[in-house]
Order: sequence, then C-alpha cells, then structure tokens
Amino acid sequence: MPSFLPHPLPCHRTLRLLLLGKVFCIAAAVHGSAADAFFRDQVEPILRQRCYECHSHAGKIKGGLVLDSRSGWEKGGDSGPAVIPGAAEKSPLIEAVRYANPDMEMPPKAKLPAAEIVILEQWVARGAPDPREAAAVAAKPGIDIEAGRQHWAYQPVRDSAPPAVRDAAWPLNDVDAFLLAKLEAEGIAPVAEADPHTWLRRVTFDLTGLPPTEEEIAAFLADRSARAHERVVDRLLASRAYAERWARHWLDLVGYAEQIGTEGKIFAEHAWRYRDYLVESYHADKPYDRFVREQVAGDLLPASSPEQRREQLIATGFIVLGDVDINAIDKLKMEHDFIDGQVNKVGAVFLGMTLGCVRCHDHKFDAIGQQDYYALAGMFRSTKTTFKTRHGIWSNVHRVDLPELEADRVLGAKHEQTLAAWRKERAKLESESKAPAGKAGADNKKRLDELNAKIKDLGLRIAHGEYFHPGKPQALAVEDVEQPADMRLTIRGNPYALGDPIPRGLVRVAMWDAQPEIPAGQSGRRQLADWIADTRNPLTARVAVNRVWQKLFGEGLVRSVDYFGTRGDTPTHPELLDHLAHRFMGEGWSQKKLIRNLALSRAYRLSSGEAPADSGEPAGSSIHPSLSAALPESAGGSSSDPENKLLWRMNRQRLDAESIRDAMLVASGRLAAPAGGPGLPLEFPENVSGLPLTEKSNHPQFAIKKERESQAYERTVYLPVVRTGTQPGTARLRDVFDFPQPAQITGKRNETTVPTQSLYLLNADLIRQRAADLAGELLKGGDSDEVRVGRLWLRVLNRPETDSERAEALAFLAEARATGDDLAAWTELARALFATNEFLLRF
Amino acid sequence: MTHLRHAPLSRRAWLRHTSAGFGGLALNGLLQAATSPLALRAPMLRPRAKRVIFLFMAGGPSQMDLFDPKPIIQKKHGQSVDAPLPEQHRHESTEKLLALGTDIPVRPRGQSGLTISDLLPHTAAIADELCLLRAVHADNNQHGPAALQIHTGAIAEARPSIGSWISYGLGTENQSLPAFLTIHPGIDTRNYAASFLPAAHQGTPVVLPAKESDPAIDFLSDPSTDAASQRRRYDFIQRMNRRLVDRDSGDARLEGMIHSLETAFRMQAAAPELVDLSKETEATKKLYGIGGKETDKNGRACLLARRLSEAGVRFVQVTMGGWDHHGDIRGGLPKACAATDQPCAGLIRDLQSRGLLEDTLVVWSGEFGRTPWSQDLSGTAPIEKHGREHQPESFCTWMAGGGVKGGLMHGETDEFGFRPVSGKVHLHDLHATILHILGLDHEQLTWRHQGRDFRLTDVYGEVVREILA
Repeated sequence: MPSFLPHPLPCHRTLRLLLLGKVFCIAAAVHGSAADAFFRDQVEPILRQRCYECHSHAGKIKGGLVLDSRSGWEKGGDSGPAVIPGAAEKSPLIEAVRYANPDMEMPPKAKLPAAEIVILEQWVARGAPDPREAAAVAAKPGIDIEAGRQHWAYQPVRDSAPPAVRDAAWPLNDVDAFLLAKLEAEGIAPVAEADPHTWLRRVTFDLTGLPPTEEEIAAFLADRSARAHERVVDRLLASRAYAERWARHWLDLVGYAEQIGTEGKIFAEHAWRYRDYLVESYHADKPYDRFVREQVAGDLLPASSPEQRREQLIATGFIVLGDVDINAIDKLKMEHDFIDGQVNKVGAVFLGMTLGCVRCHDHKFDAIGQQDYYALAGMFRSTKTTFKTRHGIWSNVHRVDLPELEADRVLGAKHEQTLAAWRKERAKLESESKAPAGKAGADNKKRLDELNAKIKDLGLRIAHGEYFHPGKPQALAVEDVEQPADMRLTIRGNPYALGDPIPRGLVRVAMWDAQPEIPAGQSGRRQLADWIADTRNPLTARVAVNRVWQKLFGEGLVRSVDYFGTRGDTPTHPELLDHLAHRFMGEGWSQKKLIRNLALSRAYRLSSGEAPADSGEPAGSSIHPSLSAALPESAGGSSSDPENKLLWRMNRQRLDAESIRDAMLVASGRLAAPAGGPGLPLEFPENVSGLPLTEKSNHPQFAIKKERESQAYERTVYLPVVRTGTQPGTARLRDVFDFPQPAQITGKRNETTVPTQSLYLLNADLIRQRAADLAGELLKGGDSDEVRVGRLWLRVLNRPETDSERAEALAFLAEARATGDDLAAWTELARALFATNEFLLRF
Repeated sequence: MTHLRHAPLSRRAWLRHTSAGFGGLALNGLLQAATSPLALRAPMLRPRAKRVIFLFMAGGPSQMDLFDPKPIIQKKHGQSVDAPLPEQHRHESTEKLLALGTDIPVRPRGQSGLTISDLLPHTAAIADELCLLRAVHADNNQHGPAALQIHTGAIAEARPSIGSWISYGLGTENQSLPAFLTIHPGIDTRNYAASFLPAAHQGTPVVLPAKESDPAIDFLSDPSTDAASQRRRYDFIQRMNRRLVDRDSGDARLEGMIHSLETAFRMQAAAPELVDLSKETEATKKLYGIGGKETDKNGRACLLARRLSEAGVRFVQVTMGGWDHHGDIRGGLPKACAATDQPCAGLIRDLQSRGLLEDTLVVWSGEFGRTPWSQDLSGTAPIEKHGREHQPESFCTWMAGGGVKGGLMHGETDEFGFRPVSGKVHLHDLHATILHILGLDHEQLTWRHQGRDFRLTDVYGEVVREILA
C-alpha cells in the first residue's frame, strides 16, 4: 500500500524523498539497553509484521518511506519525517495507525489491534529509541537539469547542408538528399515512383482530406509540363479544403468537442468559433509562431483592430476546450485537475513533453521536476478558466465577451425584433386568456387550453431565444485573473497537501536563458508563449515539423509524435529533422511552404508497394524507371528495413473517418459548399432541455433530435463533436473509424481493423445513400454502361478500371438487374466499391 | 516492457502451405486466429476463471440498506450523527447528517450468515455462493468519473476498459464474436473503450431489441437488402480485395481487413442466433424472471450474458440502472431490487447448473455506494421521504464463481458505515484481483503509450488474496 497519502491521483509515483536533506531536531532519545530491548522486543516485531512488506528495503518502498532503519523514519517519505521522537501527537506514523486521517490510514487494509497502537505510541513518546544500524540507503539524487539537456531534443536546432549522394539524379530537393544518403549508406534501393493516379490521389487526400475529381484527374494527366506536380500542390494548398483538413488535425490535439465535460450533455455553444479560427488560420497560412502565441496568450497580445482582438481571444479556446469534469463538489480539486489538463496539453502539443505525471512527482525519465510543473501550473492558476454556475454544483468553462462587429449588431437587432414580436404576441394571448369568458363552460375550457398551450410554446421560444442570443458574441476563452499568483507544490498531487510556493516560470531543461520576468498583475502566459514561439526553443519547430511529416509520410521522423522525451523514439533522420525545422523557421514558420516542399519531394512520389518497378502493377503501372536497377549493389528494403524507417517506399494510410465520409460526398457530387458556424443545431428549441430557467433549475442540456438539413452534406469537420454517446447523425461514422476520443491528445490516430467497421461497410445506411446518390449521377445522360463503369472507378478509386474489372462490373450489374432496376443495380455496385480496401486506403 | 506478442504467423504463410486458399480459410477459425489481435494467448499465472460477467449496478446501490446495516444509524434514525465527513464533501442537502435507518430487515443468510436484505430474496437464497466485499472504496463521488474509474481505473483520463485489458491479455475463444461485449451500456462510451489499446479490444455494445427486426449489434444487418444481394456485393468486394493483396508481396493490414470482413460476414449469421432467446426452455426463462413485469428486461440481458459467455466471449457486461436514490429511497430502492434481484441470482444458478460457474467470475457492483445519512433535496421532506447521497468512501460489491470463496464476508466499515476499518479494497485492488483470477498479473499486463508502460491499475492495486478460493 502506498504512501501516507493513498490514491491521490492516478499518476506515477517515484520514491523520491521530497524532504531529503531537510534538517530537523531529534529529541534526546532514551538510551540504554532497557530502551533498546523495548524496541527489539515490542516495537520492531510490529514494524516487521505490519509495515515492512511495503516500507522496507527488503519489501517495497512505498511513498518513499522505509521503516527498517532509524534513518528511514527520520527522513520519512514524501510527506516528511514519519516519527517525531517524543511527540506522538505530531508523528504522522501514529496518526496513520490510529486511522485519524482518512487520507492516511496504515496499514491500509485493516487497523492494527489497539494494543499494538499503544505500544507504538509509547515508543514514540519515549523518544523513539531505535538501535538499528542504518541500512545502506542509496539516496536517490534529485533531477540533474544539465545532464538532462544532453538529450537530443533539448539540444539547439542545428542546420546542416543536404548531404552528397551517389545518385545525384534521384533527389528532387533537399528532403530527398537526406533520405537517399541514408538509404545509400545502408545499401537499400528505394522503390519506383507510384503511378500518376496514385500520386494525385495521395496528395489530394493528404493535403485536403478529399479525393481528386474526374476533372482534376484529367487535368493532371493532360499536363505534360515539368511543373505539373507543382501546379497540383499549389492548387490544393490554396483551397479551403486544405485548411479544413489541417484544422481537424489540430483539433485532434485539443480535445475539441461541442460538449463540456462528460456529465450530462452540456453544450459548448461557442466552441465552433475556435474551430473556425483554425480553418481561417490555416487558410491564411498564419505563421506558426504567431499561431502558438495566439493560442497560449492571445488575450494578452496587442491588437490593432476589433477583428484581430476577437481572433486572438478566440484562439485561447485552445486552453479550455479539453475534457473537463465540471460537475464537481470539490472545486479545489477540480481546479487542480483543470490546470493539470492545461499544463499537460501545452507540454505535449507544442513541446512533445509529458508533463502530466510531474504533477505528483519529478519525471522518472526526463529532467523535469515538480518545480517545473508548478512553475507552469501557476500561470494557469492565474488564468480564469472556469466559473461556478447558478446550477447546483455545476461549474462551466470561462467565456469572454467578444468585441461586437457590424454583423453581430445586424444579427442581434433582427433577433431582437423577432423576440419583441413573440413577446407582444404572448402579451396579447395572455390578456385574451384573462378576458371574461364569452362562451359556456366546456367551450371556454377548450379555448383556454388552446390559448395556454400557445402561451407556453411562445414562452419556450422566447426563453430559448434569450438564452442563445446571436447578437452577444462570446467565446470559450481565457483571461488573466485579477490577482495572479504563484502556486504551491503539492505532495503527490493532493491539492490539500501543499509544499513550497514555486515561482512561475518555464521548463528548465528546454531553456537557454534565465527565467523571464513576469510583470506584476500578469499570469505569465505571455512569457510562456514567447518562449515556445522563440526560434531558439529546441522543441517547438522540431515538434511542429514532425507532426506535418507524419501526416504526409504516415510516420514521424520521430515516431512518438507527442513525446520527444528520453523514452520516446529517437529521430530516424536527425539531420533532416533539424534541417527542416531550421528551414521552417527561416521561411517565416510557414506551414504551407513546409508541406509544399515535402509533397514535391521524390520520396513523396514513391510507390507504397514493396515490389520493384518491373513487377507489373496492374493498374497504371509505374511510369518512372526504378533507380534500383541502376544500383546493382543495392537491395530492396523489405528485408533489411521492414518497418520502412528509412522510407525506401511510401507508407500506406487508412483514410480517417472524415476522409471516408467526405470522399463519398465528393464521389457522389453532393459535397456542400464550405460551411462553418455552430455545429450543434441549438437554434431548434427541441434540441435543448431545461429552458426556461427557474430558481432551482439544473444546467440546460442538449439532445440532438433535429439536424439542419445541410448537415448531411457538409464536411465532417463542421459536424458537432460530442463526448458521450454516439456521434450525432451522419457523423456516426466517426465512432466506427478511429475518431479519437476528445479527451485525448492524439497526434497520430489509430488505424484499426475491427469487425464493426466491416459491418458498417456492409450494412450502414449512410453508405447506401451515398452510393445511391452516386448511381444517380452516373445514370444522368446517355452514357453506355462501359463509360459509366469507367466514371465510377475514377470517382471512387480515382483511377481507370482494368479490363477484367470492367467485365466483372458489367456481370455484377447484369445479375443485380435481374432483381432490381437500373438505379438499384448501380447503387449496389457503387456500394461495393465504397467498401473495398482500395477505397479505404490511400496508397 | 512487457508487450504481449502475437504469434508471428502470417496469414499468407499459411496460405502458401494450404491448397484451400481463401475459400477454405473462411471457416477455419484456427487459421484466422493466427493473424487476429484477438488470438488466444496463454495466461501468465494459473487461471482460476476463464471469463468474466460484470453486473454493473449504475447509479450506486445503497450498501447500508442491502448488505451492511449499522445499529447506530438504526437507533438514531432521524437524528443527527457525528460523522467524519470532510468539509469539502458537505453540501446543503446532506449537511444535517440525519441518520436514515433501514425499514426493511437485513439478515444473516445461509450457512455462511452473509447479511442480505429482504429486498433481495433471490440473492439471499444464493448467499453461500457469494463473496461479499463490504469495504470497497473509490475516489470520486460523481457518476461520470466514478463509473469511469470502476471500468478503467482512471477518473478523468480516457483509459482502456477492464474488458479491453482482459481481451488484450487473453484473446478470445470465439473468432466469430468480439471478445468484449457490453449489454445495455450507458451513454459514456469511454466505459467500454479500448482507448490506446488496439481497437479490436473495445467493447461492442449490445442492445436487446425491443422489436424482432431491430439488430442487437450496430450495423449487424441491413433491412434494405436481401441476403443474395449482400452476398453478391460481399463476393465482389472480397474479389477486389484479394486482387489487391496478390499484387503485393503481402501486406498484413490488407490481409487483416479481408479477415475482418469475413468475421463480420459470419457475425451477421452467428450473432442473431445467439441473441435469440426463444430457444431457451421455459424453466430457464423463469429462472431469470423473463416475462415478469419488473424483471423481463434485466432477465433477458442476464440470460444473454450467459449465452455469450458460453459461446466463449471473454468479458460480458450487463448494466442495470435505477439505483440513484437521492430522494425517497424507501420508495425507489425496492423497485431497483425487484428489477435486478431475480435476474442476477438466476444467472448464478443457471451458470452453476451448467457447470459454468466454476470458471466464470461474476462481479456485482455499483460505481459507489450511498451515505448512511440522509439527503433531502427539497429541504422540507419528512425523513421517511429522504434519499441518500453518493458515497465512494465505502460500499459493497459481491463476487461469485471461479476463484473466489463463496459464503465469505470480507471487510468492515466503521460504526456509521462510512469508512472502511478492515479488509479495505480499493477499485484498483478489485481490478488487480479480477486480473489475477484470470491468470493475469496486473503489474505485468502493460501497454506502451506515449513513452510509458500503462496498466489497468496505474501504479496501484494489490490482489486481495484473502478472498481467493
């Protein structure tokens, strides 16, 4: 059983002795053989029998406490000395065995017999005589920041020139030179390039999350210029679809949902503003350093216009939009949990650091101490992130009023007019209902019932309209508290067991300078943001570049994309990572330039198959000769590098949930124009319960009973994300294809294969509907079946069909027509193609 | 690191050595197992049970009224007691700490003398089969986090559910079904999520259909098409898929996806039959209370749990709600008992008579218990109409079957029934014990995630050896 503070938090613990080195007075102990005998005969057997299992060098050392030597209890465990000689009432050991403190009951499973407790009390009261020799205790050293800095990720980014390669014709750019140099050194030959259809499908999905259209395929094939690839990449990067795709990647890191917490269904009615902020930021290619600053400290940055102020406030949604428990009685613990989520998020997302476990103890593997954690935590403690609502024990996420823009005023005025009309109508009906009855009893009752029903309905609409007022723009965002202050270290994360105050500051192991001055009255987030977004920060650019790399190549150069610490993966190509990070910063932190460079590399063009070029792929075989033939000493990589760490071929990726749904919309020609705005359809009163509010009412909640008609055809990124229950409407597909739980920071999604997915592919109505839409498209006009099969393949698999596939498709249609009409037959065929592995993967 | 390793058998390697090809493979469970993440794996320790049925009493049953009455509370009914409730856990509706006695007797039962309420007559009749833990405790007093903790060990973070861990540790005996099925789960999907474990280990929700035509498992059937059309489509898809695999020298994922589609195709046939309870005898149905007004739904769920366990599903959960008695507990509790007593006890008896109980571990628990003192949300109700607030500090859980001592009461609480004084079992300990009974060492069953080896029990948990048979 653990320490003197059992189960404070689900977090790793170390055996570090927090109070190591602290000096305390030892009361004059009773010496002599009688005292020693008392210890040996009466006390030691109790300790041995009851305590050693968990508190000795021979057993476990829980809570950092050993009781098998005098020095053991003198030093004590995480919460300090266990015994104060002569002072039983002040000795934690006595308190523990008395079961006086519910957080510290020892032994944990059953209280000691009263007689044994008395003996221990007497022993302490008599000065705790303990003649035992101190066991050789190897004091665990504190963390060594300087040594920790030797880890590659904390070293400064160092650029190096692309290395020379033997086959100078292969590299198309700097990326290729780094990759090929390694391959050549290992004697591995890269595979041939993928065929043009495969490349176009790959780059279109990777950059925009959508498949290429028939027209885009034709245009690329027709473009014989040397710049054909560049034209495609530039077109894709300029599209809004690019921004939508990459905004969703970022949302995976934020724990974004349109629901606050998981208790009940509390709407995060303003969350969408943050999602739209991301789309706009990616679309504008906002420099990444600015992007970071806005999300960490946008409220503290100067703004030159109301629009900019608004944007920067919304950006701080990053801090509060994770999973939180807002229905907590213990508000102090809730606050600490909140802060923990924020520290953890900033660490993992921007810096690839795991900080969560440092809440309770120094990091086991990285040179990050509790001091670092609480230095950051103090900044978030000094930030308004929640408030207590008027509903019972509920809290909610902090919201800020946004500067009103003209559009809000117009919307608000219009809304006010509607509300005024409803109120007037209600007043009229109310006076009617009070008017003396003109008719006889039964008729009058009917009249009154009808009137009251109308009044009630209007009342609901008015209450709903007042609650969700579009003219008062707000964002789920943060601002500094009135009196920012440092936070005290906690013992094992227990908010009630406090240690020393820790000055707010940055994580030492990744610093190159002194701790920043935090001006009085400020939280320190501004300084934190500046430090993260500094070109000297060893982690920021590396982590960002690696995230982008992983999205394009399937695996990061550092495979543990959210963790760059000592137990993470080391970079497969450290020089390339640094070169890219350096270039990224040098090119104004432009993500589009970074992506462009990667997407136009030779490496990005490689086939995802293991076979060399001449093995004969059926569909549109490779158009570029493999260089492996020219390098007789090189072998394929499948045996020497089966994990493809050196990228001798492209990694395959399963389409993510969004791409599967969106691709079906594109293929069937039904994708709606770019949307945005609120995801939850809260404008329908039937989707909200708990209004109008009363004195005692619980927090209003949502249940999506009605969707906007357009939602079935919007891109998945715009559909509401919920934390509990199934995802609403057609977003249900997310549940099946590895959409990350919005409680997690998910730099790289799982790509699982489970029967539920297969059942979905076979039976889901959504796929049938999209297939029917697609069949309808194909049947427009008077094309022959052969032409239609070709168009179907281009739309779903984005390549021409082979002869045998055409024959099989025609046979399939013939059979299907025996039992259904043309539309049904084509629907079945389209449905089949949507369920093929070739559709589900990008090669 | 102690990642379990799957047998490195390539499906393709098997293919090269058989002439049957895919057609023959389709019905050969052994071969499929070779590439499945659900492949059978040997336990680490001597197993005492092979499978688990977890009867989750959502809402928090009142342990005081059902299993652990306290004289002082009975005596001081309606008066304030001096209970050691910490300040931060007090609020308006409970701060008076009025003792709320039990109006229905709780008596010793069977040879063993386990104390069980008259509200649970069927459970009382199987007292000697039960191992009653009376000092279980948890860390959070809200439903969401507490339910998450009993399922995953964690309060706030999304972590793998216990069923997922067990599926990961042992695999499954039936390749036509998932290893972890959860019947009538609540809305929080995290409670049966695989989280960072491979998704093959996630719980598959099952909802007993109200109508014959509704599928019990999502997407199990498609009412819009007939079997022949689906077969044609399936064959076309798999032909495309196979051609794709043949084009490569072998892509494990593509092979896995083909396998998964095969399993799904088979599940469509196997699952409805399993879910169809009509072939059970009348006597069996009666045992579970099927057809009874209060007991029908839970009775059918428990019977389904037995059928799934019998078919080799590793972890089956049945969730039964109705326990959250903040007000008028004397009115509400009998209803919750009536709805669950016979189904749960019937399950034990049925497992026993089929010889399944000896290697099936059944666990009955809420996410927490309820306070010995009353709660009055209105502030004006008479004591008889009061309810009880949540209490994670101590509550009762029972276990039965493989590996645990029947007729044992383990653990005691203080005079109020608030804090444990002996035989304390934290949820982490409960988890460690369940894994141990299945032959899994909770300290060794780990998964590397973001640089750390995670366990179901985090860094906690001790096996409760006293209760092992």
